Amino acid sequence: MIAALRSFRDRLLGRGDAACTVPVFDGVLKPNHALDRATAWAGVSDPADMACDGKRLLVAAGERVLEIDPAEPAQPREVFHASGRITAIAAFAGGIAIGVEGLAVRIHGGRFDGTRWTSACGQPFKCVNAIAANGDTLLVCDASRHNGPEDWQRDLMERRSSGRIVRLDPASGQELLLAEKLAYPFGVAVEPDGSLLFPESWKHRVVRLAPGKHPEPVLENLPGYPSRLVPAQGGGFWLTVFACRTQLVEFILRERKYREIMMATIAPELWPAPQLRPPHSFLEPLQGGGIKQMGVLKPWAPPRSYGLVVRLDAGGRIRRSLHSRVDGSNHGVVAAAAIGQALFCLSVGADAVLRLDAEPAQGDGA
Amino acid sequence: MAHLNETLTRIRYRIWPDHVVGEILSKPWMETAIPVLVLVATFAILSWLVPGFFTFAQLSIIAREGGELGFIVLGLSIVIMAGGVDLSVGSIFAVTNFIVLLLMHEYEWSAAPAVAVTILAGMALGAVNGILIGYLRLRAFLTTLITLIIFRAVYEIWTADHATAIAMSLPDSATWDFLGIGLIRGIPVNVWLFAAVALACHVLLTRLRPGWHLMAIGGSRRAAYNAGIAVRRTIALTYVASGGLTAIAAIFFGARLASVGGNIGVGMEVTALTAAVLGGITLGGGRGSVTKAIVGLAIVLIITNGMTAYSASGGAIRMTLAAILVAAAVIDIRWIKNRHRIISSVYVSPDYLYLPPPPSCEAKPGNAWAVNDTLRGVDVIGLGEVEGPEDVILDRNDNLYSGSRHGDIVRFLAPDYKRMEIFAHIGGQPLGLAFDREDNLNVCVGGMGLYQVSPAGEVRKLTDETNRSWTSVNDDSRLRLADDLDIADDGRIFFSEATRRYEMSEYAVDALESRPAGRIICHDPRTGSTRTVIDRLRFPNGISMCDDGQSFLFAQTSAASVSRYWFDGPKKGRIEVLIDNLPGYPDNINKASDGNYWVALVGMRGPALDLAMRMPGFRKRMTQRLPFDEWMFPNINNGCVFKINLEGKVLYSLWDPQGINHPMITSMREHKGWLYLGGLSNNRIGRYKLPESEADPAYVQYARRWGLPT
Repeated sequence: MIAALRSFRDRLLGRGDAACTVPVFDGVLKPNHALDRATAWAGVSDPADMACDGKRLLVAAGERVLEIDPAEPAQPREVFHASGRITAIAAFAGGIAIGVEGLAVRIHGGRFDGTRWTSACGQPFKCVNAIAANGDTLLVCDASRHNGPEDWQRDLMERRSSGRIVRLDPASGQELLLAEKLAYPFGVAVEPDGSLLFPESWKHRVVRLAPGKHPEPVLENLPGYPSRLVPAQGGGFWLTVFACRTQLVEFILRERKYREIMMATIAPELWPAPQLRPPHSFLEPLQGGGIKQMGVLKPWAPPRSYGLVVRLDAGGRIRRSLHSRVDGSNHGVVAAAAIGQALFCLSVGADAVLRLDAEPAQGDGA
Repeated sequence: MAHLNETLTRIRYRIWPDHVVGEILSKPWMETAIPVLVLVATFAILSWLVPGFFTFAQLSIIAREGGELGFIVLGLSIVIMAGGVDLSVGSIFAVTNFIVLLLMHEYEWSAAPAVAVTILAGMALGAVNGILIGYLRLRAFLTTLITLIIFRAVYEIWTADHATAIAMSLPDSATWDFLGIGLIRGIPVNVWLFAAVALACHVLLTRLRPGWHLMAIGGSRRAAYNAGIAVRRTIALTYVASGGLTAIAAIFFGARLASVGGNIGVGMEVTALTAAVLGGITLGGGRGSVTKAIVGLAIVLIITNGMTAYSASGGAIRMTLAAILVAAAVIDIRWIKNRHRIISSVYVSPDYLYLPPPPSCEAKPGNAWAVNDTLRGVDVIGLGEVEGPEDVILDRNDNLYSGSRHGDIVRFLAPDYKRMEIFAHIGGQPLGLAFDREDNLNVCVGGMGLYQVSPAGEVRKLTDETNRSWTSVNDDSRLRLADDLDIADDGRIFFSEATRRYEMSEYAVDALESRPAGRIICHDPRTGSTRTVIDRLRFPNGISMCDDGQSFLFAQTSAASVSRYWFDGPKKGRIEVLIDNLPGYPDNINKASDGNYWVALVGMRGPALDLAMRMPGFRKRMTQRLPFDEWMFPNINNGCVFKINLEGKVLYSLWDPQGINHPMITSMREHKGWLYLGGLSNNRIGRYKLPESEADPAYVQYARRWGLPT
């Protein structure tokens, strides 16, 4: 009863859960142009994920896996062609592990060549969007029971929380459910002590799962939707944030009727929902701050799409952030890889792999 | 089910005028209305609780008491409105009551000099406060608290010596008795006098310079000082007035009761203060009126008399009054602090608007709306020099004119348009432009109205108001957002006002409301009259005369339609929709050299906003929960120009797809084979060379319009 009254009061006054506030880019998240100034290392069309086997970058682009040399810019080389769109990729046991259409996990090459899963723990895969190797086992994010990887906006708009993380052991065939009922886990990484770190995109947080313990958030209230994590040189992780929250989207998430009609009648790329690519059609919704004034699009305009990569230290605190603001185009960074002193980022919005210095040079403001 | 719901929504928004709530709340008299409602409620409750309480006899007693207390409330209100407070009224009341009784009873003066001396004495006591507070700048609260104690002490010393003498003798004065118990037309004499004084105070406060000074000081003492108002003297005089009015109250009281008891005037300041604050006179000054003071007085009188009739003790009554005082003060403070927010949260009231799915703009053969990049590579004039050229126009010497957001009309000189000069400064942002037969440039100016600039650059106001509409709560006679115009053959100027609810800077809020709040107005320079000719339009815009001289085209931006209106001839008064369900929001309309019409689409429709337009509640919550920059908007970063004929057929369209060169197109003007493009939030004017096959290279709009050789 009290909860119902409180919810009514919140809705009336716009407080609590009904508040559409979004954390601001402040402190270490102060915006810069680091991602916009990054070198475009290689163009890739329709990219989804990127992995690194220590020597080369492997990019999942459409149905293909492309190999990119991190030392010399060169044309990407196709090394594998899958039967469907590749939604996740990881270097594993001398070969690669890929997610196909979100529905299957396959190993290609290496010691476990040909191993294949279409379900785990008695439940078929629906939304495999990230894979990480952990020794001889695979950690797989199955982000939603309801929507495939292409329908991530629908998963957000339906306010789902049906993702899970499973561990697959190709040697023994063992399948282990590590966590479930997650709000879109989009990436997983292993910490030196063996605990797992994974984001829950729709809850704007990063969670640590230590063996034998309850999951606990290490980073909360992010101003965007976090995705994949990769280890960084000198400890800690690089975390990609594939889109930023806006008050309009937060508001629409609280407007059930509008969302229902919207999802039933409008194409997802025209929804007032986060996007990976900068707006390209006049049919897309525009927000007040996004009106061009005197021919200039303000970089602080509400971001429909945004580019953001943050460096976490070993404790999960943000130490540095790399931005591509609203007036830029290197948006929708979904994966990163650190090789030596270089950081490679995969930008869906720019259809490109970007290269930056992993450590800030003097006075680059990043 | 969803369909039925939507029908209900549509009916509900058609029937119930949401916008009226906000308009009523923003009325100044709303602040008096609330105490009046409290008064009515108290009256109703007490007549229900105490049967037979409000008989004429009882009301007469209350009125006589009110005629005494009223003077005190009036004086205190004046002091409060000037930013002070007078706690010593109770003691002044007691002292002046003593003085008048002393003069009448013991010294046996006649009534007239006794009354005059008493009033002067009251003013002198007030002057003590006035000098201390006004000239010596002491704190009003402390000072009057001290004089309260001092005057009370004086009263007690004097009554100790004279009480018996006063009680022993009775003045033999008919005037004196008349002041105490006299009636004129059945109403106590002091009520008549109070009414007269109250009326005088009302005139003083609202119509005369000293009253304005007083309110200005209460509003902001420093600003009043800087404006040259004699702050110290005015403040001192308010206390003198308060003392004098208190003395008048004391005279009537003395004449009625002839008592010098110990508790006379005790707690009177609380009663008077309660009445003033309850009426809505803000402690702190600057806000209030005589009406409010009287309403507050009436409430207090009804409550005290009602409680007396209920046999409540004096302590209980005072406690009640004190409680009411605190409550009223708190409500008043909160209201003043949040008034603006409350009004702004209820003022925006989106309307239901259904637009069918728009035509596709896909680049298919035969599609007049096919997106192309014709306008991508246009010439650019005045890049970075001109800001906000909403409309552009050329004179017959090929010079190019446009408005700017700095409030100027700027002119680019032919033939190369490299040199810009300020042609005229108006002050408000110029929007629509039109030349009349005499080469005067007629201009719609946002926030100002309809203006005219002579060829020499002299600015003249044509009109800034129209007739007030009967159904509007707000006074809507003043023009707020005149935006485009054209001129009929006989010189009549037809111009549109996009909305009467918002200012120029808030045009986007009106677009979000999509309420039919706009109108088309006719100004006749022959008679100087201005009349509304079409009302209830959704952001009317883009007036363009037709060749028949009897009709013009106009756009309704929010409704995505273009209509034709006949102002003369056999079809006079008729409106026909030329085309509706446009894929974007139409803005200005101008004639093309081939006899057809150019229309600018300032922005494009999108399905997300079209859906929101069918959900007014959603939009209302959006305006309440989100800051302006986060609202969903029409996509006005993209637009196009299209050509339409009088049958409503779209011939073709010209685009700049990503809005790279021309993010926003609000107007276009064809001149000698070129199409000139303006945009409200652009920093450039575009110039596009029309293909020879589609344009007359000799076309000059002025010549076509007014039939003169070029």
